[in-house]
Amino acid sequence: MSVFSLAWRNLLRQRRRTLLMGAVVAFGFAAFALAGGFIAQTFAGLKEGTIHTVGQLQLVDRRAVSGTEEKTLEFGLPDAARARTIAAADPSVDSVIPRIDFVGLATNGARSVPFLGIGVDPAPEAKATFAKELVVAGAYLSGDGGDGVVLGTGIASALKVKPGDSVTLMATTPDAILNAVDAVVKGLVDVRIRELNDRYVAIGVGLAGRLLQSSGTVSKLLVFLKPGADENGTAERLERALNAAGYPVVARHWRELAVFYGQVRMLYIGIFGFVGAVLVVIVILSAAIVMTMAVTERTREIGTLRALGTRPSGVLRLFLAEGVAIALAGCAAGAVFALVLRAALNASGIILPPPPGATHGMPINVEFYPLAYGAGLVAMVLTMAIASYFPARRASRVSIVEALAHV
Amino acid sequence: MPKEGTGSSVIGGRPRGEDAGATLVEARGVSRYYRLGTSVVAAVQEVSLSISRGEFVALQGPSGSGKTTLLNLLGLLDRPDQGEIVVGGVDAGNLAENDRSDLRRDRFGFVFQTFNLIAVLSAEENVAYPMVLRGVGAEDRRARARELLDAVGLSGKYAVRPDLLSGGQRQRVAIARALANRPDVVFADEPTANLDTHTAEGILDLMRDVCESGGVAFLFATHDPRVVARARRVVALQDGRVESDAPR
Repeated sequence: MSVFSLAWRNLLRQRRRTLLMGAVVAFGFAAFALAGGFIAQTFAGLKEGTIHTVGQLQLVDRRAVSGTEEKTLEFGLPDAARARTIAAADPSVDSVIPRIDFVGLATNGARSVPFLGIGVDPAPEAKATFAKELVVAGAYLSGDGGDGVVLGTGIASALKVKPGDSVTLMATTPDAILNAVDAVVKGLVDVRIRELNDRYVAIGVGLAGRLLQSSGTVSKLLVFLKPGADENGTAERLERALNAAGYPVVARHWRELAVFYGQVRMLYIGIFGFVGAVLVVIVILSAAIVMTMAVTERTREIGTLRALGTRPSGVLRLFLAEGVAIALAGCAAGAVFALVLRAALNASGIILPPPPGATHGMPINVEFYPLAYGAGLVAMVLTMAIASYFPARRASRVSIVEALAHV
Repeated sequence: MPKEGTGSSVIGGRPRGEDAGATLVEARGVSRYYRLGTSVVAAVQEVSLSISRGEFVALQGPSGSGKTTLLNLLGLLDRPDQGEIVVGGVDAGNLAENDRSDLRRDRFGFVFQTFNLIAVLSAEENVAYPMVLRGVGAEDRRARARELLDAVGLSGKYAVRPDLLSGGQRQRVAIARALANRPDVVFADEPTANLDTHTAEGILDLMRDVCESGGVAFLFATHDPRVVARARRVVALQDGRVESDAPR
């Protein structure tokens, strides 16, 4: 006859109250588990999206870390093909893709629109960044890109062009000369951020080299690692290898490059932390009321237990055990509830509203995140223990004579 | 003292190496006051009383005479404002709460007017509970609880919950529980008050039998003339003082 056995029987004796309290705990636990899964999904999605956009590591000229280019490709990496080969030889590296960043004007002859351009190596770019998934009309660049251009839906709309139409791209070269090339629209992409859609232009590195008159030079190399690769170790190795080959590069991590990732993460943690705290307070108050009622109703029983030789700490343990037993049972029920609700939500196809600046919402997808379930269990057990402690302490300190006379 | 395991001797108290007639618990000039509004009421005043092995003592007196208060003080359920409660040669009135709990567990048994069984435990588990507190192993507890229930006439009621037992049966379970740890003294506060005449007679016979066969001392707080009639010593209280203390 353990203290938990006795506690459990007392809980079964007060079925309605136990069910009520258990339901509070179950909902609290389910909220923890589902919110945790949702946050985990959001963070994972944000991380994946960030890495696909900026690469897991970026190899850039040392000057680019603190300085700002005054001329196009001022901090570029010349002879980028050799640097790319050296980086790709590292055993942890999955792929290395070049990027040329430039700005300019796109025109259809009648209207000019400023753009933010990138020069890419189409095939590896599409594979590493899932760029093809963004295409909403036409196709992504293929081969070396030729004279093709992919436009954001916004800029295409502004220029009134569609796949197959021609546009002229103008930009300044590193020598500050205005140059222009003609390009054929291959496809339109929706990059999910409205402002970027209005400015997005992607062309092959060959065409970009012609436009900027700087063949072989790129702004940076984006490095994607194999699953499970050591990010820091790889970064150090790449820096050493490229520095030894005469490239004054540094490897920048995706977290440094995507400041918004950390900000969004902190925002979510803050919001859910606050909601979690409110939840815990509600559970504590509910449980404290229930446990206080239990102590009051069982005052005579407490007196009897004490008279028979139960120490005050034994009475304290008994009521704490009841709180913990409710927490464990409530968490078990909450886990089942959370799993069922998760399956229902994921199957519902509900689309979450797009975040600020984005054009598309995301379908809700609550992950099974064991850590959230573990955290929910710990939170509910601690919460119930805290909520039970003060009524239990009162029970343990009750005068035996007064308790036995309690009606 | 009868040997264990045979007939009613199963329920006997523990041999402590003390001779029959040795003092088990003693009140030395104890007083207990209660505050009622702005006035202070003396429930017990300078009472001295000792209980020895094998005694069957009734505390008699009108309501408010201090019977239950004195019983509570001697049973270490309450602390005196003045005087000493001596158990085993030690002033238990000043012991820490845990030590007093252990003394109650090891040396005393309690029988209450309203039985006070634990509702969620079966008859056997109720009897076993004090042994759980004492750390007795599960098999020994079970055997001892069943022996005691057999001895109080409740064979076959081991698994029954208190709410399915009659008043007399509940009080028998309470008596078995009081004897679980082979106490020196059983304190019984109005143990027959909630029982019909026939059942009360049976309960009193049982306790008397336990007292005589097991050497367990019984101290009753009672109004019941049937209890007084069976007592071998009657202590009469009036206004918190001992009015008379005489063998019968």
